[in-house]
Amino acid sequence: MEKILIANRGEIAVRIIRACRELGVSPVAVYSECDRSALHVRYADEAYAIGPSAPRESYLRIDRILDAARQSGADGVHPGYGFLAENEDFAAAVRDAGLTFIGPTPAAIETMGSKTAARTAARRAGVPVVPGTESSLGADVPDAGIAAIAESVGYPLLVKAVAGGGGKGMRTVTDPADLAGAVRAARSEADAAFGDSAVYLERQLVRPRHIEVQLLGDIHGTVVPFVERECSIQRRHQKVVEETPSRAVSPALREAMTSAAAAVATEVGYTNAGTIEFLLDEDGRFYFLEMNTRLQVEHAITEMVTGVDLVRWQIRLARGERLDLDPAALITPRGHAIECRIYAEDPDNNFLPSPGRILQLRTPAGPGIRDDSGATAGLDVPIFYDPMISKLVAWAEDRPLAVARMRRALSEYLVAGIKTTVPFFSWLLAQPEFLEGRFHTTYLDGVLKARNGRPFVEPSPDVEEMAAVAAALQAALSPGTVAERAGDGGASRRWQARARAEGVR
Amino acid sequence: MRYEVEVGGRTRQVAVTRLGDAFAVTVDGREWRVDAARIDAQTLSLLVDSVWLNETPRSPNAATGPVPAGLRPGYEVSIAPDPLGGLTVCVGSTPVAVALDSRRRWGRADDAGAAGAGPQRLVAPMPGKVVRVLVGPGEAVRARQPLVVVEAMKMENELRAGRDGTVAEIHAREGTSVDAGALLIVIQ
Repeated sequence: MEKILIANRGEIAVRIIRACRELGVSPVAVYSECDRSALHVRYADEAYAIGPSAPRESYLRIDRILDAARQSGADGVHPGYGFLAENEDFAAAVRDAGLTFIGPTPAAIETMGSKTAARTAARRAGVPVVPGTESSLGADVPDAGIAAIAESVGYPLLVKAVAGGGGKGMRTVTDPADLAGAVRAARSEADAAFGDSAVYLERQLVRPRHIEVQLLGDIHGTVVPFVERECSIQRRHQKVVEETPSRAVSPALREAMTSAAAAVATEVGYTNAGTIEFLLDEDGRFYFLEMNTRLQVEHAITEMVTGVDLVRWQIRLARGERLDLDPAALITPRGHAIECRIYAEDPDNNFLPSPGRILQLRTPAGPGIRDDSGATAGLDVPIFYDPMISKLVAWAEDRPLAVARMRRALSEYLVAGIKTTVPFFSWLLAQPEFLEGRFHTTYLDGVLKARNGRPFVEPSPDVEEMAAVAAALQAALSPGTVAERAGDGGASRRWQARARAEGVR
Repeated sequence: MRYEVEVGGRTRQVAVTRLGDAFAVTVDGREWRVDAARIDAQTLSLLVDSVWLNETPRSPNAATGPVPAGLRPGYEVSIAPDPLGGLTVCVGSTPVAVALDSRRRWGRADDAGAAGAGPQRLVAPMPGKVVRVLVGPGEAVRARQPLVVVEAMKMENELRAGRDGTVAEIHAREGTSVDAGALLIVIQ
């Protein structure tokens, strides 16, 4: 491969461009209307417009992406994560166009993309799965039948979309009386989100931790697992903070979990990068949850503690190269790494999205800090996509030092023009539960509910006084920047008008 | 130059006078001598001496407790418009909502709660699509009760009541697109 088209945007497109450059491969970008000025377009050697801003008219258009690949003469396609990354039709279309898909085979994507088929594969590999139904419950299964199955699974349970992901098409049921309603709601959500109303039932574990294992596989049959990542800090089923290694995983448990993950991947003949997700219960038992057949958002923390460039390996494996990494080194972490997903959201206003123009951006730097971002000052955070603007990663020799380094980095992070979740992370990283590693997948939703909207950072009287001084000085020195923009005019309003004219959402 | 600056629900009278290379800034009678260096259009670096009360504010990053007089704490501040019509001033990495010369922020739900006086205007904080209107005209609502669901950036977002009251007006219509700042509901 000499030229790779990146079928994605934002920080992950930039991340892949960097790997291409380091390998001497020419990176090709695609972009939607609102991304013309985005960083991935500016970093690439070539860039091709693929349609309007709404994802289904651009980043989800297989035909337009393949047109761009043909036009550019690219011989490989990297899907990144999200969008088409776990779409077996896309992987097959890329292959059928005579190009190399940088990821697993369409068959592996299809098998592991179905939650019930993936559970079957795990069971065949001898890996325990969360107790639940063996097969999917299609729309034709009557309520009475589902109730009987639910009794055998046991309450509390989760109703989950077979094609699901990202918390969509998922309902918790504690009382059998709520089962029918929950199934209907999950079906309708799953049908709208994935075009498939099939669901299955899974017992809800009590206070589980989310532990996952990164894998690489070559086409010669070698699969290697990496040290686990812990992703138990979640808001509404979305990961917010990830770290590696986990405080809850002993060397013996690590050996067991990484071996189990490799067994599942081997069972389905998995190639390229993927991740096996497990739930770990309070007694130290783990259960297969699902497999993500792509690069993960949080891959960077694994890179920090192992020194392995996962994206470079994805490209090398797609070329057919052999894995020659030392397996023992991959499950022996060097130090500790933490990632905070910085979102354009207002944490003090129920985490509402805060799209708009980034007027100023100063990202943290210095020892042990990595900021993977697609944002720059002068760019709009569009309303069309996921509001993540950067992944802030801190590495240090041990966990307390990594936390201290992350808090230092957060204090350096300055963004003007939009709200971000930086103040929320400053609060979270000072909580005793976080510092002591006492958390599980519902910890964060619980404390957020208990806080009932209380601000994460309450300015002291001194800080309020300085804010007043600063606003008055800015008004005196540059009246235009305050007066023009505070009213109706200004770039952000024009941008919003344009976004609305495009008629999306 | 004189300004009315509202921070944390309290309005302060602020005067700015040039003093050679620096500025004298008086906040409700307290005077600060400020060396202000412009970093970019939104950003200032401030080095602050207190004059009148001979007391110095604490640096936001320092340990708690008063700072002895004679110190000269530094602040990096950025001043940017809020989509709702006010300003967000970041003092270090601490964001502070500020309204300058009675340019009030447009009725953000949670802000209206404390004041309690007058109708509360719930506006869209971002452009999006109204997915659901959860209340009807004349309905009694409680503080933090969800009123409208607006979809933006792939997420459904609940907009909540700032305080207890009664639904007086409903402007939001399910299925329609709204701009940031669009009036959705009025609570009496």
